Amino acid sequence: MIPEWMKKTEDYVPPADGGAFYYRTLKSLGGIMSRLRLESGREGRFSLPAGVRLLLMIALIILVSVTQNNLVIMAVGAAVLVRLAMMSAEDISAVVKAVLVAVIMAVVIFAPAVIMDPARLWNSLRVVAKILISVTLVGIFNRTTQWNHLTAVLRKAHIPGTVIFIIDITFRYIVLLGNLMQDLLTAVSLRSIGRNDKKYNSVGGVMGVTFLRGTEMNKEMYEAMQCRGFTDDYEGL
Amino acid sequence: MIIELKNVSFKYEKGAEPVFTDLDLKVEEGTCLAVTGDNGSGKTTLFRIINGLSFPDKGEYLYKGTVINEAYLKDNACSKRFHKEIGYLFQNPDTMLFNSSVYDEVAFGPRQMGLRDEEVEERVRDCLKLFEIEDLADKVPYHLSGGQKKWVALASVIALNPEVLVLDEPFAGLDSKKEAWLVDFLRELKAAGKTLIIATHKEEIIKDLADGTFMLG
Repeated sequence: MIPEWMKKTEDYVPPADGGAFYYRTLKSLGGIMSRLRLESGREGRFSLPAGVRLLLMIALIILVSVTQNNLVIMAVGAAVLVRLAMMSAEDISAVVKAVLVAVIMAVVIFAPAVIMDPARLWNSLRVVAKILISVTLVGIFNRTTQWNHLTAVLRKAHIPGTVIFIIDITFRYIVLLGNLMQDLLTAVSLRSIGRNDKKYNSVGGVMGVTFLRGTEMNKEMYEAMQCRGFTDDYEGL
Repeated sequence: MIIELKNVSFKYEKGAEPVFTDLDLKVEEGTCLAVTGDNGSGKTTLFRIINGLSFPDKGEYLYKGTVINEAYLKDNACSKRFHKEIGYLFQNPDTMLFNSSVYDEVAFGPRQMGLRDEEVEERVRDCLKLFEIEDLADKVPYHLSGGQKKWVALASVIALNPEVLVLDEPFAGLDSKKEAWLVDFLRELKAAGKTLIIATHKEEIIKDLADGTFMLG
């Protein structure tokens, strides 16, 4: 029944091939997505209402983004650092990690401009500081706000239930797409046993399947919710 | 001994419960080992270690006497040869199929092996014929049924002609006719000297095919 070549043991020497870069990059992206578990923040006894904190955060981010005054940036930065210092070590560590990634990316992006024109140093530093403060603000908000309180605020702001539903489900289940992408890339790497001249095709295939599966999962979930009485009037979880 | 695990312990995260501790396992070349155990007992984790996708926290894993660890698999040539020799069928074939046609899916591995075009064509056609999926050659794998996906995934692994086949629940969801066909096919592979490691709960298949059973949990 089985063909002759299947009965043989092959002494296989893999041909040289470079460019594992695509897979590695995508795999790390999948890894980040699969770690994006939505953690509900802890609210203290004397916390301001979630809506007020959301507005405050947006206002501060806009203020820091538009201002050209270094004193304002430093003042907001100092206030943010004080707020951060009042949090638990675990929360501080989580916020700082996210901030570090953002700052490193910003530095990498601005470095060539500064090297070519050193006069841009101060402007670049100002932008990096703005990024640092904005990401810290979002991090603090995320760690100190319960997700259901946030969706309640959006509801009060008369945002349609369907929009809140999409936001909620996207944040809650992006981790599943990350897992799927990682599994697909594992399958690619397990069968990438030699020289692949069509790497873009495989990468495109992985992205395509992830997109299709994501759409399908969304539809299946919506139908499952409809079967259990969901009427598009989403109050949040 | 083709595969040997010595005192292997594994946990997914620091501080988490270990999936297994001090696990010893030996698999001889040309034999079939059935791996059984309840859901969550660590069968897939064991298979991931055998395939070099996860690494033990303690103990070591040897393939043909060579320790398989991150350092070994960092070498591109070693990693590719290792993955060529061990074929792995995932429990969920959905996550194995990423090409735009069934033909390309099966040809993905052989095309990379430096074979001549006619040899690749022969391998792919043989596999499609063997699994009776020739009529699906131009279809998009994503749109196939669950059973068809499993067949395509298995064909794409078999096309690499691996020495060891690690199959995670290959009989799940198959009707009795297909199950009987797969048992016969695996028996032929075993007779041809291939080593089989299969996760299954089906006792009659274990009795029929396996030379030994390894129970987890």
